[in-house]
Amino acid sequence: MTLLSLRNVTKRFSTPAGDVLAVDDVSLDVARGECVAIVGESGSGKSTIANMILGIYPPSEGEIAFDGATLPARRSLQHRRLVQLVQQNPLSSLNPRRSIAASLRLALDVHDIGARADRPALMASLLAEVGLPASHLARAPAGLSGGERQRVAIARAIACSSPLVVLDEPTSALDVLVQARVLRLLNDLRAKRGLTFVFITHDLAVVRNVADRVAVFEKGRLVELAATEALFAAPAHPYTRRLISAVPVLTQDESDLRDRFMESLNA
Amino acid sequence: MTDTLNIRDLTLDFKGHSGTARVLHGISLRIGRGERVALVGESGSGKSVTARIVLGLLQELRGVRVGGTVEFDGRDLASLTRRQRAALRGTAMSMIFQDPTSSLNPVYPIGTQFTEVLRRGEPGISERDAALRAATLLNDVSIRDSGRVLGSYPFQLSGGMNQRVMIAMALANEPALLIADEPGTALDVTVQAQTLGLMRDMVAAHQTSVLFISHNLGVVREFADRIYVIYKGRIVESGTTRAVFDAPGHAYTRALMAAVPRLTGGGIPEIDDASADFLAPAVLHAEAAP
Repeated sequence: MTLLSLRNVTKRFSTPAGDVLAVDDVSLDVARGECVAIVGESGSGKSTIANMILGIYPPSEGEIAFDGATLPARRSLQHRRLVQLVQQNPLSSLNPRRSIAASLRLALDVHDIGARADRPALMASLLAEVGLPASHLARAPAGLSGGERQRVAIARAIACSSPLVVLDEPTSALDVLVQARVLRLLNDLRAKRGLTFVFITHDLAVVRNVADRVAVFEKGRLVELAATEALFAAPAHPYTRRLISAVPVLTQDESDLRDRFMESLNA
Repeated sequence: MTDTLNIRDLTLDFKGHSGTARVLHGISLRIGRGERVALVGESGSGKSVTARIVLGLLQELRGVRVGGTVEFDGRDLASLTRRQRAALRGTAMSMIFQDPTSSLNPVYPIGTQFTEVLRRGEPGISERDAALRAATLLNDVSIRDSGRVLGSYPFQLSGGMNQRVMIAMALANEPALLIADEPGTALDVTVQAQTLGLMRDMVAAHQTSVLFISHNLGVVREFADRIYVIYKGRIVESGTTRAVFDAPGHAYTRALMAAVPRLTGGGIPEIDDASADFLAPAVLHAEAAP
């Protein structure tokens, strides 16, 4: 069942040097409960796609539909509740002057989730869901570690029970041990809450282990779309092979996999 | 032969309002001539402060106490004056930073900055000779249109191009030691792979010793001859890259390696946050003859 659908989406930005085609005629369906990775390097258009899904700006052409209904250029509060965002750097996505409680409370107040009197308990249970004690509510973001802050950002993203979460490089600012734990948390939440993820990243090793399907973007165009297993078994597009063969790896098995694509590139 | 860098029992304390915090708990590390050595650890482990001590930058701050010895080319850094330490920077030792675009000066063209670097090594060099030499050095890092690059401001160049410029500048005065702090982390993977390969070729050709600071085990595996793993200000494991990757002996090293997602799949492993084993005594693999 398709939850999110991009139909011939194009985005142009005007600059003094002329128009820039950031996203070029992209069509992509995301099924309910699926994790689709959007992969590409800087300038590939992946953040522009995220911003259009979130409704920060509308496409220049084409449309974005949710559960079969086209989303308008200006979204209502109900529309905004459908999609939430987790950004790369929680230190800049959480207000440094606000306590964790105030940041979570704002999300609940804006979307009018639960009765006012129940909200403090709801905030504590949201934190528990992401593996943090309720005592963290009183703290400021600066008083938490990077991993804890990202957990708070995740708690806020699931606060209004949005079916779709856009994860924009959610773990690339974290240390590897913390990254592993946050990725596991995201996996668990997806299973438990039946969430759908659009997972934007440049890290193909992460993609290999979390995504159901992968969409590879180059210069605003969707150059390859495949199930994760299939993509890593036999990447069809040269750009995909180039990306995979540039990943720094730890084991011989991974080197072998990489070298196979390197050879097919040079052939 | 004298080691390029020999650190013995290095400690570092920061004095703050609430007392003294020990950041480095006695680190020993050596880099032979022409050797590429990586210092691997997470944020807050003490890897970047170690680099700053080697550069002689931290010793000058108030509220900082440095113990142990740091020998550079056989000379104890503590025996040098502030001026002498400053004279080493940019000549005998140089540094490449994480984000090339922000470590170049945005208000001067590359050419001006390049001349400044060359004048540190050869104060009397003329404008014209500096430009010629810069062009040769840029050619070595595969920049063919050096004229355009030298006339450009950093923001007019791509991140990968700026990183190559940084590499060329860092090696311009033929340093004995190059310190690379998370080089290329801010770059795209394909560009990162290219610039790392380039850097490896360059230091091999010049017999430059490298202290490579990184949190990325995959990058380290591809770049370094030997590695030191650092955790909370202590070296927990050291050895040749091969030995450490083939048979990681310390619990922390094993956890780090297990936590990195594999390109071949297998899911995300379950990882303990911190284990008492992480503070177990260091595992020191036999060192291969340099």
